[in-house]
Amino acid sequence: MDLLQHVLNGLLQGFIFALIGLGFSMVWGILNIINLAHAAFIMLAAYLAYFLWAGQGIDPFVALPLIMAILFVVGYVIQSRVINLVMRASVLTTFLLTFGMEALLVNIALRLWTADNRQTKPFYANVSASVGDLRLPYTQLGAVVVVITLTVLLYLFLDRTRTGSSIRAVGQNRVAATLMGIDIARTYALTFAISAALAGAAGTLLSTTSAFSPGSFGVFNILAFSVVVLGGLGSIPGALVGGLVFGLVNEFAGTYALEEREVVVFAIVVFVLIVRPTGLLGREGYR
Amino acid sequence: MRGEAVMLGSPFLISSQRRSMAAVLVSATLVSACGAATGPASSAPPASATQSAAASIGFDGTLLFGAAISLTGSTAKEGGLTRDGYELWKETTNANGGINVGGKHYLVATKFYDDESNAQKSATLADKLINEDKINFLLGPYGTAPTLQVSSVAEKNKMPMIEGNGAAESIFSQGYQYTFGVLSPAKNYMKGLIEMAAAQSPRATTVAILTADDPFSVEVADSARALSVANGLQVVYYAKYPNNATELRAPITEAKRKAPELFLNSGHLAESLAIVQQAKELGFSPTAFGFSVGPSIPDFQTTLKGDANYIFGGSQWTADLKFAGDDLFKTPANYNAVYLKRYAYEPAYQSAQSTAVGVAFQKAIEKAGSLDAKAVRDAIAKLDFISFYGQIKFDERGINIYKPMVVEQWQNGKKATVWPPDVATAKPLWPTPPWSSR
Repeated sequence: MDLLQHVLNGLLQGFIFALIGLGFSMVWGILNIINLAHAAFIMLAAYLAYFLWAGQGIDPFVALPLIMAILFVVGYVIQSRVINLVMRASVLTTFLLTFGMEALLVNIALRLWTADNRQTKPFYANVSASVGDLRLPYTQLGAVVVVITLTVLLYLFLDRTRTGSSIRAVGQNRVAATLMGIDIARTYALTFAISAALAGAAGTLLSTTSAFSPGSFGVFNILAFSVVVLGGLGSIPGALVGGLVFGLVNEFAGTYALEEREVVVFAIVVFVLIVRPTGLLGREGYR
Repeated sequence: MRGEAVMLGSPFLISSQRRSMAAVLVSATLVSACGAATGPASSAPPASATQSAAASIGFDGTLLFGAAISLTGSTAKEGGLTRDGYELWKETTNANGGINVGGKHYLVATKFYDDESNAQKSATLADKLINEDKINFLLGPYGTAPTLQVSSVAEKNKMPMIEGNGAAESIFSQGYQYTFGVLSPAKNYMKGLIEMAAAQSPRATTVAILTADDPFSVEVADSARALSVANGLQVVYYAKYPNNATELRAPITEAKRKAPELFLNSGHLAESLAIVQQAKELGFSPTAFGFSVGPSIPDFQTTLKGDANYIFGGSQWTADLKFAGDDLFKTPANYNAVYLKRYAYEPAYQSAQSTAVGVAFQKAIEKAGSLDAKAVRDAIAKLDFISFYGQIKFDERGINIYKPMVVEQWQNGKKATVWPPDVATAKPLWPTPPWSSR
């Protein structure tokens, strides 16, 4: 029974990890940018969810589409006005730019909202459904539904729509896509915006499960990176598998080797990188 | 140099004179927003330049106190409490004529850097404060790891440092002569909790201990383990988690399996919040929860709300204590009132011991009647007085082993001092009811 609880803990966490990895993976796969400001978008969304709930009494799951829309706009503007300026620069430049944006956003948040801890806490937060001895937190169950829905929608969008096809085309070959008449700048901005919207969903969900302050989110950049490495870059199933595997590894390392958890988790990430550089669902990605 | 601050996250100066300027700049430029971690709940209202100038009239000079504190990063909240404690001492002292050194009155000024909760950075910044900013005296950073690093910088520069937020005895076992801690050592954090648990009915017989893997927390946890055994409790689970980990469902599930009566965590505010939330989700409900850090900080209740009730915390200081202090703040109750008026939230023990650092410095400098580092250092070593924070006296290692610690419990949305019995304002609520009936 305890073993099953550990599996559940790992999987439930894994779905949120997958969502974080999904947005990160899109920008990395299509724009070839490792977006170190991804965690800051998650943070912004968490605060939005908190203030909508604390100030307006709006349930976070109801606010979720609105928050995703806001982050979509934020992402679109940031890509088209800022990141687009360095799209052709070296990796180090985009690294520095997104790292700087992360530092900027986190420090603005600290100034505006202080380091006080907050939590979006509707009545069902930190309350669990019981199945025998097993405990299933309602907010995490809700998160699973959200993540699966968003994953399916994203898959259909990329696979079935013209805009989705153009995003994939740009990811596969930028020059050829340009020659086919695809508006590269718009496609980049759109991709970045979708990624930010996914971060928005992740932030909303995370704000209900635990307390946070502006400094709580930096860890999600390295987590997103690991999820993408594990699952494979540039594929939706890859992010999903990467997230779930990361969740399980994290849980079981925490059960049997808590003190060395980070060593174990990142050793596995490095091992996968060596043995299967293209990730567990190994594909060449978009490039 | 300012430009670099954005990209590299390098320290940003926030002395109070600059704060108002920074507040104006923050919306206009990228640069000034970076690193300055002040806000409505914890920052001082900007003192305008003219006020500062006016304040220095009537003083014979200025004494500059510096500290590198964690204003961002994992212990940003605790660092903010530390800064607020220092600032309250500064303002109160200046409003009462400053520091009297042999008949001359000196204005207190402070200079803070953000160490980003990074111990190495804290040491680098302390060196900068001493050698570039030419501070007169060094105030401690927040946390044991930074304090340990900074203490070696203080020693090297023969710069007296009094600190209030580094409690591990590892800091005081280096043989250093220039570092003094006003707070009770780490091994006392869980003492009251365990003695209390052993004295209740039904008495606790088993204990699980979960600790962060940093020197302070491990020292607290190891002494908790020894104290548990000494008090007849069986330790059924003991585990260390990586420092700053807040995903603790795995060890909580393991602890639940061992069904301990007492659950102790030695760590930081962020983990204390995560543990309560995740324990509730996982239906883990021992007879009592106890924390080394967390319950004393206002966020514990504002974040957890009703779930904070029944939870115990070891505390260096509470406003319920009855000391008649020989300092500007006099009593814990008065300190509480002054602090609440100034910052609009009640002080945590982290705030009080930071203020106590300033109080101790002032006492020592006035006793020394000199600004000479060695003379002040010797005066600090000889201090023995009662303050609003309790007795301040150092053993030969420089730590205050003379001040007792107490146990607090959240009862119906309010903090109550519940142990030891002679200072308690309420009886412990024992045992803790299951989550469903809290």
